[in-house]
Amino acid sequence: MLYVEDVLLVDRCLTGEPAATRELFRRHKSRVHACLFRVLGGNRDMDDLLQEAFLQVFQSLRSWRAEASLATWIDRVAVRCAYRHLAQRRRRIATDPLDDDAPGAMTAPEAGPGARRQLARDGVARLYAVLDELSPAARLAFTLHELDGRSLAEVAELVGSTVTATKLRVWRARKRIEAAAAADPVLREFVAPAGGPVIRFPGSGAP
Amino acid sequence: MRLAGKIPVEPLDEERLTQIERRVVTGAVDAAIRGQRLRAPGRVLRPVIAAAAIAAAGIVGWAMRGAPASEPVAGPPVPAAPAVPEVRVQTAPQRSMVDIGDARIESDPDTAFAVTRPGGGVLIAVARGKLELEVGKRGDRPPLVVRAGDTDVVVVGTRFSVDYGDGSGDVDVRVTEGVVRVVHLQQDTRVAAGQQWRTRAGLIAMAGDPRDAAAPGTGEPRDPDPGEPPRDRPRPPDAPAGLHDRRAAVPDAPAASPAPARAAPPPRPAGREPARPRVPARSDPRVDLRAAIRAQPVEPALDLGAPNPASAIARYYEIAAHRSGDEASQAFYSIAWARYFRQGNSADALQTLDAYVRRFPGGKEYRAALWLRVRILCLERLERSETGGGECRAAAYTYVHEAPDAPAAHLAELLTQSE
Repeated sequence: MLYVEDVLLVDRCLTGEPAATRELFRRHKSRVHACLFRVLGGNRDMDDLLQEAFLQVFQSLRSWRAEASLATWIDRVAVRCAYRHLAQRRRRIATDPLDDDAPGAMTAPEAGPGARRQLARDGVARLYAVLDELSPAARLAFTLHELDGRSLAEVAELVGSTVTATKLRVWRARKRIEAAAAADPVLREFVAPAGGPVIRFPGSGAP
Repeated sequence: MRLAGKIPVEPLDEERLTQIERRVVTGAVDAAIRGQRLRAPGRVLRPVIAAAAIAAAGIVGWAMRGAPASEPVAGPPVPAAPAVPEVRVQTAPQRSMVDIGDARIESDPDTAFAVTRPGGGVLIAVARGKLELEVGKRGDRPPLVVRAGDTDVVVVGTRFSVDYGDGSGDVDVRVTEGVVRVVHLQQDTRVAAGQQWRTRAGLIAMAGDPRDAAAPGTGEPRDPDPGEPPRDRPRPPDAPAGLHDRRAAVPDAPAASPAPARAAPPPRPAGREPARPRVPARSDPRVDLRAAIRAQPVEPALDLGAPNPASAIARYYEIAAHRSGDEASQAFYSIAWARYFRQGNSADALQTLDAYVRRFPGGKEYRAALWLRVRILCLERLERSETGGGECRAAAYTYVHEAPDAPAAHLAELLTQSE
């Protein structure tokens, strides 16, 4: 149902109508932000990245042919921006577990006692520390599939790759995380908490 | 355990988001404007080119009018053309044919005209009667001008006829190929194939298909317009053989009385191509254009049997969202149709049509969508009696460009010339 509305909105944006541009930004900002947040692991550099992604969206808007939904197309542009960002700043992504911008910092206070929250924050930080060592393509594939909850086919479409290659990247990332978790009880507790269900990466045999 | 959902997203605070939004909107609007400029580089140059063309046309027109107008065109009747030694003359029992190299001129019996060549061009001054001309491409040469009274028909290569009756009444110009310019009382009108211009009525659509209309040697059109009064051209047997003083011979055009309203056109037979519109001959060109636009059939919307426009549009949305190809195209077009014809919402209809044109450049309803844009934009302008109408002309131009062989193309071409 949103299809026609998207087409109309895009047309208005193409005429340079500020209200339409604002509307498109507001419709998609939360989803794009969430996607980028999970890929990057925090809000550091998010302002620049979000702005760059949407500017890229508006500059390329004429090329959207409505063959895909507008949301998917915007996500693809955002993922491309994230890839470039990761490739350029691979070694500079913050991994400080005490950083306020770290994703674990936003764990809801009512989630449990302080120690558990701190453990979760540490777990998230260590997970992203491992992800920092991955290639941008593998990191994107893993975060979009495992953290953002997208299907492999969808991830493949977003990153412009095949499903097989995407699956392979996700699998390699899992292996890497399993290896790190084996040596890191905090990370192990995060990905496979003792009291909860166990993450089982297909074919890995690891908990 | 699933990692999905385990990483909570920290929201950006409102201030940061507002800043981002402001920068994005500013950048996006700039990008859109730049994109429009890049896509239409001609827009910047168009006014300059148009001004240069108008100036050039004015100079040519002034030069063509200047010398011959200073003195009455006079000369012997056909076939003599004393000022043009290269004129070859053929005669026939009923009609005469003159081949002057630049053009082939056929004349009805009792027609008088003279041919001169001022400044490298050709001036055919008609004293009375009817000429049918087939003019070769002029290229860079000055145009050929047919002068009947105070009406000049400027030609650059075409086939047409000029009927000056008994030399004291209306001039009737009918174009069967190409385009001519008719200059009358300092008003310049472009008459294209299939169109007719008359002193009192101005520009009107020619009755029937232009290919069926008068061609050299074929006489009158086979399908006269029933809405037009019969053309009465008395041929006094004692008419003077020489050419009249063209200024004295042609009185000022009197104000025309409005023609009786024409009955609605018959329903269009099955088929996608609409019939050529009949344009009533009226004195007000706006009335003519409005009637012609309304007479032009519009591709109907998909019939879903919906009881009201809102539910029909909702169904069209659904189809456009979930189907592809022709079905989506038809549904999308139908949204615009329903918004305009059933809801009377021109703005939304135009927005939808713009989107349709962008989304379905090869769609089955592409031409119909372009025509509906022309109809909406031009009717609104004409009904408000507004001048300007850049959007109307632009839409009409797009239609002519995209559907040059469509039945409404000549009407759209007319609209591109409207003020």
